[in-house]
Amino acid sequence: MKPELTVIPTVDPGTGKIILEINNLRKVFRLNGAFLAVLDGIDFRVKNGEMICILGRSGCGKSTLLKMLAGFLAPSSGEILLNGKPVTHPGTDRCVVFQEDTLFPWLTVQENIAFGLKGRNKNKKSIREEVDHFTSLVGLTEFKDYLPREISGGMKQRVALARVLILRPQILLMDEPFAALDAQTREEMQNLLLSLWEKFSHTIIFVTHDVNEAITLSDRILVMSKNPGRIREDINVDLSRPRKMEKQEFIFFSRKLYQHLCD
Amino acid sequence: MEKKHNSMYRSAVTLIPWIIPVIFMTTWIIISETGFIPAYLLPHPMEIGKAGYTYIFDHPGDAPFAGRFLNDAGASLIRVGSGFAFAVIFGLPLGTISGRLSLVRKLMSTTINALRAVPGISWLPVAMIWFGIGIKTTVFLVALAAFFPIYLNAVAGARQVNPLLLQAGAMMGIKRLRGTFFILLPGAMPHIMTGLRLGLGISWAYLVLGELTGVPNGLGAVIMDARMLGRIDIIIVGIIIIAIMGRLSDYLLTTALKCCFKSAGRMS
Repeated sequence: MKPELTVIPTVDPGTGKIILEINNLRKVFRLNGAFLAVLDGIDFRVKNGEMICILGRSGCGKSTLLKMLAGFLAPSSGEILLNGKPVTHPGTDRCVVFQEDTLFPWLTVQENIAFGLKGRNKNKKSIREEVDHFTSLVGLTEFKDYLPREISGGMKQRVALARVLILRPQILLMDEPFAALDAQTREEMQNLLLSLWEKFSHTIIFVTHDVNEAITLSDRILVMSKNPGRIREDINVDLSRPRKMEKQEFIFFSRKLYQHLCD
Repeated sequence: MEKKHNSMYRSAVTLIPWIIPVIFMTTWIIISETGFIPAYLLPHPMEIGKAGYTYIFDHPGDAPFAGRFLNDAGASLIRVGSGFAFAVIFGLPLGTISGRLSLVRKLMSTTINALRAVPGISWLPVAMIWFGIGIKTTVFLVALAAFFPIYLNAVAGARQVNPLLLQAGAMMGIKRLRGTFFILLPGAMPHIMTGLRLGLGISWAYLVLGELTGVPNGLGAVIMDARMLGRIDIIIVGIIIIAIMGRLSDYLLTTALKCCFKSAGRMS
């Protein structure tokens, strides 16, 4: 079977409910007095439960886009609508897993995972149960009392994942979260993410520069181009899951996508 | 076998801080025994011990300086404590805010750095005119001196906190005020702790300066009285007591911080 790269229109006539709507988004930075358009004409919809990868080379503005979705940056023009409401601030409905280590170094694994529950009115017992549950979901029960500096990079990202999953976000925003990990750990983490996605069916927007990672994970790949950052293509990944990098169809798809990127 | 080895190693490590004091004492004893330095310049440690005993344990009135210790140490502790407390109350919040807001930092920088350059001793005459002789002058001097290290380290601490940590907090629904207490201050804690320790150390130095001015009690006052009466043994007793109390207060401060704040215990 030779899968073709099907380029689909941005509004998919599919059945899933649209949860996130990005309309003609533009971001301009001011640099040494000159204006630099980092993102221009970004326009796409995300359906509930979809896993979308934003694929692009470094400097194409994909992280900036994610920061705007998270509410850390305000768009210069255009709008981001979550369930029809504009996104203006960071909030627990859109949680971020960062590329860098952003765990709190003075808290243990378990305390890091519990951190976001602080402000919520819940009794101690139910918090502890929940924290235990999410600690074991990411396979860190044995390491729950370790400090971030005592665990590996992969484990840190597991904690980063658990501490946002526990907040039950509607959308998970992931900014090259596995880029700094070694190949084997990365694959483990991808599998973990996929199994958690199956379990919770979150909507996930995953930024990456790794073609194979995008194919392994996503339903749809948004390919970005540079200067200014635009979405060049919206590609449906219609490979059956689980996707294995050794499979023929995977290799074909990957080669095609790669060529496509280089065009 | 290995366990034994390990415990021996550990007890050796706990001895390390005492090596220098022991060498120091031994040298002192040798110097005094051989008469290399005459006793009116540096009394024999035994004499110091006796003077110290009189100062601490004897009944007041039995001899000059007898039994003054509790009264003096109490007075000095109150002065150091309240001066240091003022410095913390002003230095920590101001420093933390300046560390986060560059406008506030700019507003403060010229003033702080100019005042910081003024030696504490030149404040003494002014303080005496403003506050008279007594506790107020000393507390003022202590607070002023301790403020700068506390402020400057809080600024440095708040500045070096990774902004991504605050972003992560915001994303997890931790708003500004909570973020300050649960992210910013813990993140800045190693610096804050350094500032507090330096501030407390300097507090003791300025305590003596403040007490040189004719207050009736306090460890600095004892040293001054002893100088006038030519009692070098009491001067040295005073110095040793200040050293011990300074070391103890630093230990208590560090331990208290580590007990109260996870960030202090786990990041240093």
